[in-house]
Amino acid sequence: MLMPVTESNLLPPDLMAQLERLELVTRKVFRGRMKGERRSKRKGQSVEFADFRSYVPGDDLRSLDWNLYARLDKLIIKLFLEEEDLHFFTLIDSSLSMGFGTPTKLEYAKQLAAALGFVGLIRTDRVRIETLGQLSNQRGPVLRGRKSVWRMLEYLNSIEAGETTSLAEGVKNFCLRNAGKGIVVLISDLMDKAGYESALRFLVSQRVDVYVIQVLSQEEIDPDVKGDLKLVDVEDRDIAEITVSAPLLARYKSTLNAFVGGAQEFCNRRGMNYLLANNQTPVKDLIGSYLRRRGLVR
Amino acid sequence: MVEFFYNTLSPWQWGLLALVPPAILALYFLKLKRQPLEVPSTYLWKRSIEDMHVNSLWQRLRQNLLLFLQLLLVALAMLALLRPGWESSKLDGERFIFLVDNSESMSSTDVDGAKNRLDEAKKLVGGLIDQMDSGMTAMLVSFADTPQVVQEFTNNRRLLRERLETIEPTVRGTDLKGALELADGLANPSRMPIQEGDKEIDVVEAQPATVYIFSDGRFESVKGFSLGNLKPYYIPLGSLAAKNLAITAFTTRRSDAHPEQRQAFVQVANFTDGAHKATVEIQLDGSFLDAKEVNVPANESAGVVFPLADAPAGKLVARLKYELDTPSKHDVLEQDDIAYAALNDQKPGRVLVVTPGNVALEVALATERAHKLGTIEFEKPEFLTSDSYKRDSEAGAYNLIVYDQCAPASQPRANTLYFGRLPPGRTWRGGQKPDGVEDEKSKQEDGEAAADTPAPKASGPQIVDWDRSHPMLASVELGNVEIADSIVLQPPPGATVLIDSTAGPIAAVAPRDAYQDAVLGFEIFGQGADGARTANTNWPRMLSFPTFCLNTLEYLAGGTEDSQLASTRPGQPVEIRTAGNIAELTVIDPAKKEHAVRRTAQDVFQFQNTSQVGVYDVKRGDQVIERFAVNLFDRQESDVRVRPTQDSESSTIKPADIKIGNIEVQATIGQTPARFEAWKIVLGCALFVLILEWYIYNRRVYL
Repeated sequence: MLMPVTESNLLPPDLMAQLERLELVTRKVFRGRMKGERRSKRKGQSVEFADFRSYVPGDDLRSLDWNLYARLDKLIIKLFLEEEDLHFFTLIDSSLSMGFGTPTKLEYAKQLAAALGFVGLIRTDRVRIETLGQLSNQRGPVLRGRKSVWRMLEYLNSIEAGETTSLAEGVKNFCLRNAGKGIVVLISDLMDKAGYESALRFLVSQRVDVYVIQVLSQEEIDPDVKGDLKLVDVEDRDIAEITVSAPLLARYKSTLNAFVGGAQEFCNRRGMNYLLANNQTPVKDLIGSYLRRRGLVR
Repeated sequence: MVEFFYNTLSPWQWGLLALVPPAILALYFLKLKRQPLEVPSTYLWKRSIEDMHVNSLWQRLRQNLLLFLQLLLVALAMLALLRPGWESSKLDGERFIFLVDNSESMSSTDVDGAKNRLDEAKKLVGGLIDQMDSGMTAMLVSFADTPQVVQEFTNNRRLLRERLETIEPTVRGTDLKGALELADGLANPSRMPIQEGDKEIDVVEAQPATVYIFSDGRFESVKGFSLGNLKPYYIPLGSLAAKNLAITAFTTRRSDAHPEQRQAFVQVANFTDGAHKATVEIQLDGSFLDAKEVNVPANESAGVVFPLADAPAGKLVARLKYELDTPSKHDVLEQDDIAYAALNDQKPGRVLVVTPGNVALEVALATERAHKLGTIEFEKPEFLTSDSYKRDSEAGAYNLIVYDQCAPASQPRANTLYFGRLPPGRTWRGGQKPDGVEDEKSKQEDGEAAADTPAPKASGPQIVDWDRSHPMLASVELGNVEIADSIVLQPPPGATVLIDSTAGPIAAVAPRDAYQDAVLGFEIFGQGADGARTANTNWPRMLSFPTFCLNTLEYLAGGTEDSQLASTRPGQPVEIRTAGNIAELTVIDPAKKEHAVRRTAQDVFQFQNTSQVGVYDVKRGDQVIERFAVNLFDRQESDVRVRPTQDSESSTIKPADIKIGNIEVQATIGQTPARFEAWKIVLGCALFVLILEWYIYNRRVYL
C-alpha cells in the first residue's frame, strides 16, 4: 500500500510516522458493519480457528470438518473467528468559544481528531468525523482506509468555529444519526451554561465506548487579566464585570478545578474516559502518552 | 511659639486642590468605565463572582482600595503642603554660627552640672556640634567686648570640639553687636560698585546662616543692626535669682580735708533682693591695711572711704568678705569681689599760666596749698611761640595750661583753662569738627575761620545758675558776681555747662581725648579800647575766686592721674606719660610677665596688653616709676541675674528676650531650638502610597 502524500498542518509527517504504529483500542468488542481487521466476538470467516460445534441443518456445508467426519462419523462444524471493522466517531465542538487560544481550541481539536482518525484509517476502521452543529439529517463522510486520509483532512479543514448549537442538542443529534456501536471521542471545552451532564448522558445511553476530551486554552486555565474588566461571552454576549484581584483569580481557579474535577468524576462514574487537554500540550505528546495510558490507542 | 502648621498655598490654590478628592470620588462612583474583553465563556467567571459576593461589603472595600489609596495620596500631599513641623532640638539649616559669650558674667557659678555659665554654654554648643550632619558647617565665635573667631567655618566636628574647649572666660564687658557684625559679614553679602557710578552688586554670595547666641543677656539691645540672612536663636544661661555682691569702684584720691593725704574709696554694689553686710578689706602690697564693714541695701550700692595717710606707693587690693545664705556662702561671681588700685608716688602737677599779667590769678595761685598741688610757672603770651613751649606742650609735660587773655595756635597735650578766649579749632565755635579726615590745610582754614569769626559777646550777663555738684565749683558761691561782658559759649557735645547766665552759658568744661578743656567766657581783667586795663568782673574780690582756682588746680592738675588710671578697663590701652627722653619702658603685668613698650609718634607710651585685671608696674630700667590698675567695674557684668521679663499670659518670670535691630529674639530655655520639618516624611509616605497603588494595580495583590 502506498503512503499517501499528505502535507497538512493538522497532520505533520513526523506525527504521522508516530501514529503509523498505533491502533485504536476499545475495551468493548463491537459488531462492525463490514469486514475489517479486528477480531470479533462473532464467529465468521477468517483463518483463525475458534471452536467446533455440531452441524445443524442450514449450516454452510463448506465449514464442515471433513476429517472429523471421517474419524467420528459425526458432522462437526469448524468455527472460525470473524474479523470486523471498528466504528470510530469523532465529535468536534465547533462553537464560537472553541475559536479562542493559540492555537485555537478548535484547531487543537482538529489536530487531535486528525491524529486519531489517521490511526483508525490505517487500521481500516470506519472513521466518521462530525461536529456538534450538524443538523440531525446531515452526516459527515464515512472514511475507511489509508486512501481516505486526505479526504479526512480536507473535511477537517472545512470545519470552522461559529456554530451555536448547544452541547446537549449537538450530542443528541449525533446519537440520533449514529445509532451503531463503536468508539465516540467528544472533543469540546464543555463550556455550556446549561451544563455538560445532559449531553454526556445521551452518550452513556448509547452502547459506545466514550472518550471525552476537554480542551481548554491556557488563557482559561491561567487567565492573564488585570484591572477593571467587562468580560463579554463570545457566544451569548453575556457580560460579567470583574475587578481583577488575587482572591478573584484564586476563586476562579478553584471554580475551574471544581468544574474540571466535576466533569472527570461525572465521566468516570458512567464508564466514560475523561481527559483534560491544554492547548499548549502538543498533540503528539497527548496521543503518545496520555491517550496511550488511557487505553484509547495502543 | 512655633506653629504646628505653616500655610504654603493661597486660598485659590487650596480651592483647586480641594477639588481633587471630589473629582476622584466622582470618577469612582460614576459608572466605572470597564474595559471590554471577549472571553470564550463567562461561565466560570460568573460562578467565581457569585462566590465572591458572599462577603460583599468587604469586597466592595477591597474593590475600592485603589480609591482609598488615591484619596490618602491627596490627603498626604495636602498635609505636606501645610508644612507640619514642631520644635525639637534638631539642628536646622546648613551653616551655623555659634556665638559664645565669654564676658565676666559668664563666669558665674549658678548653673547646675557645670562649672560656670561658660562651661554650660560649651556643653550646649558641644551637643549641637554632635548633631551636625556631614553637609553642615559651623563657625565658633567667642565674644566679650570684642568678638574673636575661635574657628572658621568647617564641617570638621572634631576640630570644632577641640577649638570649643579653648574658649576661656575673660574679664571683659559684653558687646553683642560686634559679634553679630562679624557673623553678618559672612552671611550677608556686602554690596559695592565695581566701577564708580555702577550699580551696586553683591560681591560675595549670600550665605544664610543660623546664629546661636549663648549668653546671659547682660547687654543692651543691639541697635542699628539688621539680621538679614541670619536666623538668630538666643539661649539664655544662668538663673534669674543669682546672687552677687561686687566692688564696682575702687579709687584713690586726695583727701578733701587734708590734700597731702590720700584716701581710698570703695563702692560695694548689692545685686540681690536682700540687704547684706559685707566687710571690705584693703591690702597694700600683700599686707593688711584696713578693713571696714558696710551695709548694702538690696539692689543698691554703698561706699566706704579708707584713709591711707601717708602710705607708700604700691599695689592696693580691696577684698569683699561676706556670708550669703547660699550653700557655698559665696556669691555666684567671685571675680568681682576683688578690686585693684595703684598707689603712685605723689607727683606735683606742673601748671603753666600764660598771661599778660593778672594780679588776681597770681594772688589766688600763690597760696601754700596751691603750691602743694603743683609747680606753677607764669609766662607771657610771647612764650607760646617759643620752641620750649612747643616741645613741652606736645610732650605732655604740663598737667594744666591756663591761657589768660590769649590762646595757642593749637590745643596742647594737657588740660587747659581759658579766660576770655575760645580754644582753637571749630569745636567750641558751634561747628562739628570733621572727624579724622581733616588735613593740614583745612586745619589752617579752621584757624583762620576761628580768627575771623568773632565770638558772640554779651554785655552785662547775669549769672542765673551754676553747677554746684561739679568739683570745679565745689563750695563756690557766685550769687553776687557781676560781669561786664562775656563770650556766650557754644560748648561742644559732651560738655558740662558750669555757669549759666541770662545770655547763655558763659563757663563750661568739655573733654578732649584724655584731657579736659575748661573755658570761662569772661576775662578777669580786660583791655579797654584805649589799651588801659580794666576790671571785667568783681569776682576776684569774692572768696569764691581763690576757691575756684584751687578746685581747678585740684581737678585739672592734681587728682587726674590717679583717678584716670584707676578707671582703666581690661582691653583698653593705657597711655603712660613720662618726662625725659627714654625710648623704652617695661610694663610688668599681674602675672609677672614683662612687656616692652616703645614711644609712639605722639611721644607717649601706649600699652595695649591690659587683658588681665590687677596692678601693672611700669619700670624704667630697674626702677618702678608708676603703677596702674586694671579693673572691669561693670555693673552690667556684675549684675549676674539673667534679665527677667514677666510673661503677660501666665505671669511667670522668664528670661527676657533680646532685641536685635527691630527683631525680638526669643529666649529659648532648656533646649536649642530648631523646627523639625515633617513634610519630607509626609511626602515620602505619599510616594510610598503611590508606589503601593501602582503595585496593587499591576500585580493585583490586594491586602
